[in-house]
Amino acid sequence: MAESTAFLRFEGIVAGYGGGDVIKGVDFSVPQGGVTCIVGPNGSGKSTLLKVVSGLLRPRLGQLWFKGTPLVGLTPREILQLGVVQVPQNHSLFREMTVEQNVELGAFLLKDRKVIAERLKNVREIFPIVAERAKDKAGSLSGGQQRIVEFARCLMLEPELVVLDEPSMGLDPKTLRLVFDTIKSMNSAGRTVLLVEQNARQALRMSHFAVVLENGLLRLSGSGSEVLNNPEIGALYLGGSIETTSKAVSPAPSEL
Amino acid sequence: MNSSALIHALLDGVLTGSVYALMATGLTLIFGVMNIINIAQGILVILGAYLSYTLSVHFGIDLFAGLVITIPTLFVVGIVVERFFMTKLKGPERTSMSILVTYAIALIIEGALNMIYSINDVQLKAWYVNQSFRVFGLWIPYIYMFGFFLAVALLGALYVMLYRTRFGASIRASLADQTAAALIGINVKRVSTICFGLGVAVTAAGGMVYGATNAFNASTSYDLISRLLTIIVLGGMGSLGGALLAAILMVTLGDVIAVVWSPIWSTPTYFFVLVIVLSLRPQGLVGKLSVREA
Repeated sequence: MAESTAFLRFEGIVAGYGGGDVIKGVDFSVPQGGVTCIVGPNGSGKSTLLKVVSGLLRPRLGQLWFKGTPLVGLTPREILQLGVVQVPQNHSLFREMTVEQNVELGAFLLKDRKVIAERLKNVREIFPIVAERAKDKAGSLSGGQQRIVEFARCLMLEPELVVLDEPSMGLDPKTLRLVFDTIKSMNSAGRTVLLVEQNARQALRMSHFAVVLENGLLRLSGSGSEVLNNPEIGALYLGGSIETTSKAVSPAPSEL
Repeated sequence: MNSSALIHALLDGVLTGSVYALMATGLTLIFGVMNIINIAQGILVILGAYLSYTLSVHFGIDLFAGLVITIPTLFVVGIVVERFFMTKLKGPERTSMSILVTYAIALIIEGALNMIYSINDVQLKAWYVNQSFRVFGLWIPYIYMFGFFLAVALLGALYVMLYRTRFGASIRASLADQTAAALIGINVKRVSTICFGLGVAVTAAGGMVYGATNAFNASTSYDLISRLLTIIVLGGMGSLGGALLAAILMVTLGDVIAVVWSPIWSTPTYFFVLVIVLSLRPQGLVGKLSVREA
């Protein structure tokens, strides 16, 4: 698909850390309004790709377009100002600060105290924990609670695109469901979500669009259920427990 | 044992310790935000002392008034060093390379100071260096008290800046987690540069008080940097409160041991305490283990 005005478009992205390229030429578009999931085995370059989106890593080649604006070369701050917010893989709350201070820092780019107070009020309504544990140190929360507060913090900028790097990492199944439900409701509230997930099955079930990365290359793309039901992908990346995995399969039909 | 001598030792520990705390705060701030160990901190203290010396001897400017010039000057020195040298340090070897680079910078400054001021000891002079006041039956030079007030005022200002301002929040966020800070829009590079500037600027004040209470030349910096490094290690690398606590502990302990035992044992006892503390709490008194990912 040649969408010139795609929401977020990766165009021939090649990126790495000096020890060689981790992403070896990736093209795809993230449609507006949905949940897009990137899956793939460990080391396939999923997180690296997200670092390119947030501006933490500058790609060696290629371009990244957000609503027609090139992102390559912009600082994380400038990308944030465009409305692209990222929650990193590791817990990123400032443990020694209170929950409220953490959430307020989500609006670091805003100067208007009134706007910040307004946003904080909205965020409290969506995430009651922000009000309930306002004065507690962020480090005292459980892993799942910290995740939710991180979501709350990232909504302070009212972003158009929320980028999540393995939001379910290290969570128990119950908390995981809560986190996924929260992602769904953020999406229903009109925010486009791009996420990387190790918990591929569950993530694909709620995704409208999905891409599979392998070894820094795009292996497959399609709707969440297409990818979920692709027998070869099932065998390779999703734990391979379904019966279809024993069937002989032809190579992935589309490489874009 | 003489109890007034003990009181004197305790008093000196708090008064002098606060000045060491100020100097060490700069060092720990730079390490905390940037993962850089600034070995040049010792010679920068001496540079600050010599700047005060020049202003007072050649221009007749009072030591405290001269800080209006020397603090901004050293702030700029810090900014220049950071822009020209520290930004070049990247990757996982950053911390160890920073020791070599800042050591080289220290040697260059030391050579220049030796050339300009010779290797003869000097000491800063002012009425409050020579005159004393009486407290608990002891005579204490005014400079100790003024130096203490100066250190408290500057540490207080630093505290207010860190905990009550937006810029302070961005420093604390960068101290805790650089990636997370960058992802909420904090310009971590700019924060690092200003922190380096601030970390070096405190040496102007520390150097002035040090130079007024001790005779010094450029090589005095070796004694200073080893003390400052052990202070931030004892307090916990990157911990501002730890630096304050450890500085006062170090100086007080040294003074008390000198009085109750012998000055010879001051330093060994301090290092003995350091080893004990570190074997029980490797992260230092106030430090935290693995605050940041490797």
